[in-house]
Amino acid sequence: MKPVTPRGFRDVLPQEAEERIAVGDSLARTFDSWGYRPAETPVVEDYGILEQGAGSLEGTAFRLFDSDGRLLALRPEMTVPIARMVASRLKGERGPHRLRYVADVYREQASLRGQSRQFTQAGIELVGAGGAAADAEVIALLIEAISATGLVDFTVALGTVAVLGALLDASGADEAWQREVRDAAHDRNLVEIDRLAGREGLSPSVARALAEIPRLRGGRAAIEECRAHVAACGCSESLDGLEATWELLESAGVAQRVTIDFGTMRSFDYYTGVVFELLVPGVGLPLGGGGRYDELLAVFGAPAPAAGFAVGIERLHIALAEEGVVPATRGLDAVVCGSRPAEVFEAAGKLRAAGWRVRLAPGAEGKDAVSEARATGAVETLRAEGGSIFRLDRSGEPTESIPSPIPPPQALGGEVG
Amino acid sequence: MLRRASQSAGLLRMAVPKGVLFDDCVAALTAAGVDIGGLANPGRQLVIASSETEFVIAKPTDIPAYVAYGGVDVAVAGKDVLAEADLESVEMVDLGFGACRLVVAELEDAKAEVAENYRHLGVIRVATKYPRVAERHYAAKGIQVEIVKLHGNIEIAPLLGLADQIVDITATGTTLEQNRLRIVEEVLASTARFVANPSSLRTAADRISQLADSLATVSVE
Repeated sequence: MKPVTPRGFRDVLPQEAEERIAVGDSLARTFDSWGYRPAETPVVEDYGILEQGAGSLEGTAFRLFDSDGRLLALRPEMTVPIARMVASRLKGERGPHRLRYVADVYREQASLRGQSRQFTQAGIELVGAGGAAADAEVIALLIEAISATGLVDFTVALGTVAVLGALLDASGADEAWQREVRDAAHDRNLVEIDRLAGREGLSPSVARALAEIPRLRGGRAAIEECRAHVAACGCSESLDGLEATWELLESAGVAQRVTIDFGTMRSFDYYTGVVFELLVPGVGLPLGGGGRYDELLAVFGAPAPAAGFAVGIERLHIALAEEGVVPATRGLDAVVCGSRPAEVFEAAGKLRAAGWRVRLAPGAEGKDAVSEARATGAVETLRAEGGSIFRLDRSGEPTESIPSPIPPPQALGGEVG
Repeated sequence: MLRRASQSAGLLRMAVPKGVLFDDCVAALTAAGVDIGGLANPGRQLVIASSETEFVIAKPTDIPAYVAYGGVDVAVAGKDVLAEADLESVEMVDLGFGACRLVVAELEDAKAEVAENYRHLGVIRVATKYPRVAERHYAAKGIQVEIVKLHGNIEIAPLLGLADQIVDITATGTTLEQNRLRIVEEVLASTARFVANPSSLRTAADRISQLADSLATVSVE
């Protein structure tokens, strides 16, 4: 039997690994430039604490027992761990806190569905700042970070969970029915919402709003249509936050990247205000998303408004590859061979000091070193001999020697041999 | 998983279920004013392009996965199949046709026997093509069951002694009757639904919404 990875886990080979790192670094650079600082949390958390924050994780989180019999879980996302960290370690410190991460997360998946169980998320959390200005900062940062990776064709779908909450409050209907409406909205089941909106005794304006609002999409016009519905239901203020956020995004010049979509939903339950998803035409799943979660920190005893997002590195990488704009990664400059290992080591040391990326091939014949260079994508092949470094031609014969001091490699603008 | 061949010339890709829903589906699309190209007589072709849509003729139970993973932008699928798959999609329109019921049934004379088995052995054996829907149904009622997944002719399972009850689909009830089965209760009323991939719905919003609106108008008539 050949050894394979468990279902939903995979190895990442060098080319992909280099590109993934480049994608993650690109995002991290933008996050840095907005003043977000890196933070790390453990891969494993107390299962109960995660569920306090995220609601039921049944079937979502990988669970395990430690030798003390404690129920633990691999983190299924980063927002709850960061909220826990801020509430415990940064309690009492002056906010707002701007934190970023690039981290592996783990989710249980039913078998035979072709889904990964480990993936990498890059994201930010802005804790301790509320309101439209903070929402707009988070969304504008997402747009700038994605643009900076080189991705051209993308949209951010922006909605809010505040409107549905306010409509349910205004409905005056029983808890069970409200739960059903929330579940249907969560499942994006418009047929079921229509059915539930047909409930007897419901005010016609609430019924109309429930059925129509999840279908509203577009720009300012969609906000205005929604405004008419919520005003008729007496809960106009539930839309104020989203509208103010939209206006800020317009003045920041990024609104053309944003589509208002009142059907936007996220898979975790902790969101309280704006919610958004990062979408790419032709890619059937969102690349990432986030929103405002003003009540999560209170669960851990340190109430604070907060918002953030996460982007899936795997999906972003695929979208970049589809567009042919995978970030360039720098390859190998040379393979260094030579009959005496000590000379190879010394020559390679000098080359590295001059900024070269070199691969050692002590003892290799010129011809073999040339084919090794071809196989590893190295720009050229060199031979160390008697204190000099010679360039080899394609048949492995020495041509000229590299002058001293050693110039930078060709990839960095050095002369072509 | 989510990567797909780049969309050709902005055609909307739509999965259409082969089998019992196919003819109604073609009729509904035609009535809604959609250019269906050669969809009505596809021969053995599985992918048929018209001026605006690329149709994919699919096995009904595969459609939820096509939609959830973005293989197609939109589709027509039975509610029964969607409920069983329990995958991401936006359910946009109840198309009205393809009406059937998912029901629990048992042998006409078996009621006392099933109750006795449950009392004595603490479990009911259930045969079905819909294991997830069946599991949720019994779990909601707090009844312990052992589920046997079968792929067809579910009605025969009680006769063979494989199961005490079945959860299966019925339109008229005739097949159940002919196999001496009695409906115990309804699990789910199903009709065909127009569904969309959540991401496509935002990136091709206008076309999908228009199609949904036209289909909604047709389904009411």
